[in-house]
Amino acid sequence: MTLAETQALFHEILTSAEPVAAERIEACFAGTPDHPASERVAIYANMYLWRLVDALRETFPQLVRYLGDERFAALAEDYLRRNPSDHHDVGQVGRRLAAFLREHPDPERPDLADLAELEWARHQVFFAPPAEPVGPDAFAGLDPASFSRTGLVLSPALRVLVLDHAAAPLWRSLEDGEPPDAPSPGASAVAVWRGGFDVFHTPLALDEAIALEGAASGDSLATICAAFTGREDPAAAAHAALGSWLAEGWITAVAQPRDVLAALDRRVARR
Amino acid sequence: MTTSRLDLGHGIGLRTRHFAQFMAGRPPVDWVEAVTENFMAPGGRPISVLEKVRAEVPVVLHGVSLAIGSVDPIPERYLAALQAVVKRIEPALVSDHLCWGAHRGQYVHDLLPLPYTEESLAHVASRVHEVQERLGRQLLLENPSSYVAYRDSSMTEWEFLAELTRRSGCGILLDVNNVHVSAHNHGFDPQEYLRGIPVDRVGYFHLAGHSDKGKYLLDSHDHSVPAAVWELYRAALHRFGRVPSLVEWDEAIPPLDEVVAESRRAAAIETEVLAPAERRLAS
Repeated sequence: MTLAETQALFHEILTSAEPVAAERIEACFAGTPDHPASERVAIYANMYLWRLVDALRETFPQLVRYLGDERFAALAEDYLRRNPSDHHDVGQVGRRLAAFLREHPDPERPDLADLAELEWARHQVFFAPPAEPVGPDAFAGLDPASFSRTGLVLSPALRVLVLDHAAAPLWRSLEDGEPPDAPSPGASAVAVWRGGFDVFHTPLALDEAIALEGAASGDSLATICAAFTGREDPAAAAHAALGSWLAEGWITAVAQPRDVLAALDRRVARR
Repeated sequence: MTTSRLDLGHGIGLRTRHFAQFMAGRPPVDWVEAVTENFMAPGGRPISVLEKVRAEVPVVLHGVSLAIGSVDPIPERYLAALQAVVKRIEPALVSDHLCWGAHRGQYVHDLLPLPYTEESLAHVASRVHEVQERLGRQLLLENPSSYVAYRDSSMTEWEFLAELTRRSGCGILLDVNNVHVSAHNHGFDPQEYLRGIPVDRVGYFHLAGHSDKGKYLLDSHDHSVPAAVWELYRAALHRFGRVPSLVEWDEAIPPLDEVVAESRRAAAIETEVLAPAERRLAS
């Protein structure tokens, strides 16, 4: 057999849900009378799934808590059969789990997809590049006219999620070891970020999430603030939101929109 | 190209469980080995810890995903990430495994053995050239532990490694535990393995524990170095002389002191084995 044929067969043995015929294994691999080749390759096949399921366990601890080890392992195996790892970092193997759960929802807990998305975002920001936040006086000296010309560069360690269910309370219940409430359907936004080496998340109002998503895509401050027009006092709401973004370290630069877009381009190029 | 035998001393693997102690001070280790892929992310705690440690002791980067023997092209994404972390950390050595583990863009995240054939040899040698040219430095490859062999193999693992290092200029990371485990699983003589490895190509040793699964030994890294591996380490010191050692402990990881104690034991054995010969040379 060529090297390519050998590797194709070994890969099939590891990843196929169906057992590979013993004759094909014995034709390629050598064993001993007391330890035949089929048993020897099975050592690798068993470790293949165990290793990947273990990586998923580390990334999705609350999903494991909710489902329990056995149900999580069954879910993970089903997921991995359809979504094998395509990244050199085994920690990336879970990046499609939330999408998988949306395609194959748990009938009793359709919010598990949202929980997985939240846990995946927490995993992502943990490893995101560092960036120095601007100081509390970053907006000082901006006159109203400058608002239309100024944009924000947000921390690369910040994610804004808009989910189909309130995942943050579910996460909290599981973290605290409390029985979770019933799923709470309806659009729900969460900000996930890293401060120092710690990861945090907090629920967001939907208009604030829209404002943050606009900021992340290069909107000017005027457009960002326009997201709050539905509030009773839009200016106060925008002011409070910008103040909290500063306080949490989510803003790393206040700049001309073209500079914001250049910073975004650089960030995309680094990925 | 001969392998530069650095005077690193005796180190341990840098593991998450011990990050806090490495951040709080400087544990008594001569050097550390870091699993390359765990430190490729541009931010977060792991790379910050490694940069702090790197400022204090030598660091060796040890990869698990290069898949040097895979027939897939080596992904540019991987080479770029490897090059970036090597530039950032400036490690004393860069190593990975003599294995394959990716097929048609899919990673199995395991260190699968290769058939030891002329085709594999030519393939791996050309890929070592590619990586060494990209990094501008020597790559060391570790002998794997294995549980199965191939009918097509036409040479032993040590013959393959010796010829590979001659053709490609790569160094050898000789994992003493893996020699013991594979010798048990395949029924070869570990001393013959050591005799087949060129002395001037070995850059450092790995030492670790394994588990007895009845029909085979599993390279589990889940407890201290067993007596049989210490014995083979003594034999390796007799053959290869003073070689840096690294204790690996990846499952059921104990407190740092316990891992460091294993490393100090490696140092003591080295002194015990080599001091008489060195005294004779000095006189």
